Amino acid sequence: MSTQPTDVPNPALGRLPARVLEAFERFRARGDPAAVEAVVMAAVVDYRPAGSGATRPIGDATLLIDDLGYDSVSVAELVFFLEDLFEVTVTNEDIQGVRTIGELRSCVARKLAEKPGAA
Amino acid sequence: MRRPQARGEAGRRLNPAITGIGLITPIGNDYASVERSLRGGIHGLEPVRFLGNPALPVKVAGTVKGFSVDSPSWRDWSWPAEYEIPREVLRGMAPHGVYAVCAVLQALAHAGLRPADVADDPRTGLYCASAGSPMLLHFNIAKMRAARGARGNPLGVVSSIAGTLNFNLAAHFRITGGVCGFVSACASSSHALGYAIDDIRLGRLDRIIVVGAEEMNADSLLPFAHMRALSGQSDPRRASRPFDAARDGFVGAGGAVALVLEGSRAAAGRGARALAQAEGWGQAADGYSVAASHPGGVGLRLAMERALADAGVDAGAIDHVSAHATSTTVGDSAEAAALGQVFTARGLRPRVSATKALTGHALSVSGAMQAALAVVSMSGGFVPGNPHLENPCPESEGLDLPRGAVEGAPAMVLSNSSGFGGSNVCHVLAAPAPITC
Repeated sequence: MSTQPTDVPNPALGRLPARVLEAFERFRARGDPAAVEAVVMAAVVDYRPAGSGATRPIGDATLLIDDLGYDSVSVAELVFFLEDLFEVTVTNEDIQGVRTIGELRSCVARKLAEKPGAA
Repeated sequence: MRRPQARGEAGRRLNPAITGIGLITPIGNDYASVERSLRGGIHGLEPVRFLGNPALPVKVAGTVKGFSVDSPSWRDWSWPAEYEIPREVLRGMAPHGVYAVCAVLQALAHAGLRPADVADDPRTGLYCASAGSPMLLHFNIAKMRAARGARGNPLGVVSSIAGTLNFNLAAHFRITGGVCGFVSACASSSHALGYAIDDIRLGRLDRIIVVGAEEMNADSLLPFAHMRALSGQSDPRRASRPFDAARDGFVGAGGAVALVLEGSRAAAGRGARALAQAEGWGQAADGYSVAASHPGGVGLRLAMERALADAGVDAGAIDHVSAHATSTTVGDSAEAAALGQVFTARGLRPRVSATKALTGHALSVSGAMQAALAVVSMSGGFVPGNPHLENPCPESEGLDLPRGAVEGAPAMVLSNSSGFGGSNVCHVLAAPAPITC
């Protein structure tokens, strides 16, 4: 009966666009920071509540809550997705310091750098 | 049970009308398909294999067609295209929540209501029943433990515990009149329906959506095999055969059923069509076993008698009994004993049908599904049969158990439910009366 996907590098990525899977593979193979950012941006778009926020391009200064319509629950979902995918732990204090896309990208980069064995 | 206080101007009790039904079931995902299956004795059971283990003694189950919700990831789920479920709603739901949203949308449309008609309406409530999602609970806790507690799915609680239906449906449909969940195992949605009847009679709410839903997968079903409660048969027609002397357990099922109940004034005010009247209900407990029914059907008999008294009718007014009968050895015998005391001992022989032969047993959905199927058959002018019954068990002697559907509309139906812990709940449903204020 089970149909759990097994053909993606991480089950959390299942059904995301192929370019996101490719970016994640580049990160895993070469630690490519640009690939991390591509995955983070895809997740931001994916977890954004429907029908909310501005439609202008998303940049580093874009605010998750005020511009993109995120609420506390959807921020928690986004953060868990990234934690699960990159196998990092984001603390409540970390989350409180993340208001913009730029701060989210920095937070993920910092967490990856702190991982044991990181270059 | 105390008589309800709400009465109309002429002293009539304001029993609610059932104005809409939504069906996501093993025997069909819409009213017409379900009626066709019910009338034709066409079951919805299929071969299944769980956890890749062909040695498991569970060979068939009541499957819901047209959906795919086996994965713990909402990204993998699919459902019929006519139902719209936003992604942010999916993320907090259990697999059976998908069935439930579809059933509610279908029931509202059947009642001539739009979702906007119930949204933010302080006179509309939502009563739900499900056992939660053992699969997602297991999945989320396993992930949490793998991370040594450091992280977990923030929606793990609301998507998996008993109550997940209430949380998600109330938010999605913007229910403001009241929302509640009922947990009494296989009598859960029966309790939801019963208390909905009372709350409308008492004038607390004008409209209540009652919904039961369950997913059917290894985590929800196999624990019942370990209780030795499931049939080990591989032929669907032999696996679920309530009241048969050779029955050997129930067949699990998934699905969702939603019922729209409306008070007379509210229904009349919008020109709604009544499908049936909810005339009364009753409950009683066995006080006997954590799982098994009292062998004498003591609690079920009392629940039936209370439902009849609440409806203000004698047993002789019932011309169709929709039995809970799940095809377990102990449960069916207990119900047969209770039916014998309420009906046979008084010289009464209403037709008795056990629709789980066709649907399998969808656990907490059972009572809502039986009520809905009773309305379908009553409206369609027939009594469902017992197509898998070959040799009735000795305890059912004296019961009228037709093998095929019998044409002729019953005027009043008694629908039974029993659940673990000895919960017994019965409803009396009647052909619709003209809706008036």
